[in-house]
Amino acid sequence: MTMRTEKARKLWRYAGGFALTALLCAVMLGGLSAWFLGSVALAGLSAAALTFNFHMPGALVRLFALGRTAARYGERLTGHQAALTDQTDRRIALFDAMAAAPAVRGAGWQLADQARLADYLDDVEDLDFARLRADLPAMLLAAGLVGSLIATAFVAPPALIPIMALLAVLGAGLRRLARRGEALWRQVREGRREGARELGAILGAVVPLQAERAWPVHCAAALHRFSQAEDDLLALRRAQAWSDALASLLGPLAAVSVMAAAWIAGARTEALLIPVFLAFSWLALGESAQGISRMVAAALRRRAAAGEIARWTQSASAAAVPAAVQPIAALGAASLQRRAPDARPLAQPLALALKAGSPTILAGASGVGKTSLLKQIAGWIGEDVLESEGGPLTAVERRALAMFCPHDAAILADSIRANLFAPDLPDDELWQALDAVELSERVRQAGGLEGWITQDAVSLGEAQRLNLVRAWLTTKPLVLLDEPTEHLDAEQGPRILARLLTRLRDRIVVISSHAAAPGEARIVRLD
Amino acid sequence: MENRIRPVGPSSPADGKMTFAALERAQIQGAAGLRLFLAWQIVRTALRLGAAGCMALLFGRLVMGQEMAPWSLAAVLVLVCLAAWAGLMADHAQAGAETRVSIAIRQAASERLQGLPAGLLRSLPAGALSVAVQRYPEAVSSLVIGHRAAGMMMAVGPLMAAMALAAVSWQSALLVLLLTPVMILFFVLVGGAIRERADAQERAFGHLAGQFADRIRTLPTIVANDALASEEAKLSGRLDVHVARTMGVLRLAFLNAGLIDFFASLSIAMLAVFLGLGHLGLATLPGFSGLELWQSLFVLMVAPEYFAPFRRFSEQYHAKAEGQAAAAALDRLLDTAAPAMPCLPAVDEALSKMELPSHGLVVVTGPSGAGKSTLLRRLVGIERAPRDGAAALPGGCVWVATDSFVAGGSLAEAMTAGLPAPDAARLHQAAARIGLLDDVLLPGGLSARIATGGANLSGGQRLRIAVARALLSDGTVVADEPTAKLDPRTAQAVRLALRDVAQRRLVVVASHDPALVALADRRVDLSLARMPETVA
Repeated sequence: MTMRTEKARKLWRYAGGFALTALLCAVMLGGLSAWFLGSVALAGLSAAALTFNFHMPGALVRLFALGRTAARYGERLTGHQAALTDQTDRRIALFDAMAAAPAVRGAGWQLADQARLADYLDDVEDLDFARLRADLPAMLLAAGLVGSLIATAFVAPPALIPIMALLAVLGAGLRRLARRGEALWRQVREGRREGARELGAILGAVVPLQAERAWPVHCAAALHRFSQAEDDLLALRRAQAWSDALASLLGPLAAVSVMAAAWIAGARTEALLIPVFLAFSWLALGESAQGISRMVAAALRRRAAAGEIARWTQSASAAAVPAAVQPIAALGAASLQRRAPDARPLAQPLALALKAGSPTILAGASGVGKTSLLKQIAGWIGEDVLESEGGPLTAVERRALAMFCPHDAAILADSIRANLFAPDLPDDELWQALDAVELSERVRQAGGLEGWITQDAVSLGEAQRLNLVRAWLTTKPLVLLDEPTEHLDAEQGPRILARLLTRLRDRIVVISSHAAAPGEARIVRLD
Repeated sequence: MENRIRPVGPSSPADGKMTFAALERAQIQGAAGLRLFLAWQIVRTALRLGAAGCMALLFGRLVMGQEMAPWSLAAVLVLVCLAAWAGLMADHAQAGAETRVSIAIRQAASERLQGLPAGLLRSLPAGALSVAVQRYPEAVSSLVIGHRAAGMMMAVGPLMAAMALAAVSWQSALLVLLLTPVMILFFVLVGGAIRERADAQERAFGHLAGQFADRIRTLPTIVANDALASEEAKLSGRLDVHVARTMGVLRLAFLNAGLIDFFASLSIAMLAVFLGLGHLGLATLPGFSGLELWQSLFVLMVAPEYFAPFRRFSEQYHAKAEGQAAAAALDRLLDTAAPAMPCLPAVDEALSKMELPSHGLVVVTGPSGAGKSTLLRRLVGIERAPRDGAAALPGGCVWVATDSFVAGGSLAEAMTAGLPAPDAARLHQAAARIGLLDDVLLPGGLSARIATGGANLSGGQRLRIAVARALLSDGTVVADEPTAKLDPRTAQAVRLALRDVAQRRLVVVASHDPALVALADRRVDLSLARMPETVA
């Protein structure tokens, strides 16, 4: 990681160097070629034509022309490589921070939703490329401006007055754009988010809405949100266009001012060659100020994105990982206050006594808090301390002891082997586990353990069974299964669950289920 | 703006409906905006060329000590300002046209979605649909406006610059024109290499794209399996591979822009030398000798303008692929064929025999899979039977189920959404009777906050709000398994509420709850209805 950071820093230095070289070459090329033409035209009037050193400026023009091309290519390449290297670093850090965020362990992972995930990725990308899109060009433009202003102060000082005036107007315009843009961009983001929320809600209730003849109205309203957001975006783009129009005046206005100031100061013919050089340099610099509003937009997008991503990670706690995990055979609490995912207390305190070898079933109607209790036992929510035979265990300690098997477990886009999360086990054990959940045939079809699978490639039932293989293979002493037979048919579900419970007979197992339990399971009703 | 979309493209034979054809729609919608945008770009280019001419004249004559024409100074300032103005108008025209096209496509998508049957809508992937209607219209609109205009300007822009050059020295115009085929030849070579390289990379590493997104999506599962450290190490390695492969493609892709830079630079270097030699009088180059200084300055200023449109087009290299992919994805989603309706003779028979009283509790029973929910859907006319499908209940109803839609706002607003406002006492009574006021999970009474679509509610809470709506409404009530998965007390409250509503109105319920069946005035048993079918 430090190596990558070091590499990125080096690449940014190169990118900055290339960019500066490219700008310098462009400015010098513009100035020098105009100066050169002026010089030869004046020399051509007299006998000086014969002694004019033609080769030196000609060679320099070629040098700057090719230098600009090469440096621009280098700037693009190293700039992108630096940004991408930074991106890897940032994304790894973000992955870490997100994993520590409480939202991951709370109710319903929002980023499992495709639309939310797409928005999140936009934000991450806005952060990743802001340096390339905003910082680098802005710094370059500033450097070019400072250099040109200094040169102007020497060559034609009065020209500074109109140039500075224009720059002041441009600066005010950009500040205004930044302010207004921030408000507009916030509106755009809110509109899109609200639209996605509404659309998601009505798509989950198509039948009731159509039965009540309310579907068309709701559908149109949700999509209209997106279009409203786009209207706000249009306002932002229009505001950007004003700044760009203003910026396009910079080069020509500065060039004319320099020439006019020199003329008024009495410079004629040869004495005007240096001002011509400077004037054409300003023209070249003006070209690089063309995309100035995009820099502002990239900067304000970065700010919005950073705020949004900070929301995910702000309450993340870097909990100390407990050193050694002692296997436990019993876990309980005389009086456990049940909690909703948002930590609100729920119902009456509950006495809990979990033992290895006798699975406990949490039963109750939907919405009564079965999943929340499982998460509480796993240490995912709340700060309860539970008693084990080896002493009290905090939530953080229990997290290290528990394997929580959520009912909506996801499939990673990876090999089947990687999806089993058991890197140290030999293949035949993995196959045994797959046999137990009746998945081996399907896995063989998908290309064996190294076959690549994705969420879309498996059915809900297959995903559930893959999820149960993970429970089968875990070495944790505490296994929590949330609705393990969901999405499995009436015979297959209990059959697989019975095998799994036999396999896990030496562990503490807690199951939330409305299905009947096999064997000597103890049932805790939460109603 | 008036919607002038004519159906385009071939009609799909299955249902006689027109295909969505997002791209063609966008092109028709965007035609006028594209023309305006192009017109402003052409005006801007012309003004820029004019400003360059006047500036060259001004500076050239000043340096040569010739008499300065005051009008040229004024002309420079006016033309520069006008060019900036035209640029502003062009930007506005582009932004406006793209927004209009995008909104029109979304509008068409909205109309299409409004008319789709429930069965089809439920078969669409919700997340993908949400991403599609938000983002894809934008991608399609920048393809048909921004990208298309950049492509057209590649023909017009260089031609205008070449004409301006020819006005001063046709030989210099010829020089840049001659460089163009060479440049295009390089383009083709580089373009082919890019495609080849990208395809090879895609074959080798395509599955590694999107790994970060995937690991964020699956984060709870990774945490649940205590695999954070190993997944992080793997992700780190894969992202590095991904950067390396992206750079491999970019190295070639940037060659395109590099080539244009190279030819622009080359033309300036060559022109500067030729023009310089001409001024010195050391060599007589036809077309480059005997020019005034302002003329050669003009040539030098205009030559880059010749190459600028190529450059702008090359910067849009990704817009085409993105726009086409977006259009194809929209078509795919919105032209999905309706899934085949299950053929359930028992349901059809029960529906044809069903006599619905003006009030009373009708309970549809039968084993799971017999088609109870299907019967309800066909009853209210949102799913057509394969054979014939006259809805027995043509009007609307209040639908009570765990997936009932719940409007956001306060609990009171959610309970009365779409209904005439009831008086406060009735509202309070309806909420209290179904246990909505003493729910610890929904604190705040009638003003409890409810998120958009009831996102913060459990299935049981949604169902109870739907029952409260049924109590407050004055039409038919249709309920799908209203007591399943409820705790005994709430289930009893729901049964009694439905029984109460049935005193004055028609209530049709699909249920296998014996206690609810016992309250029925009439019973439709799908397992019985099936018997004659199977026997016969």
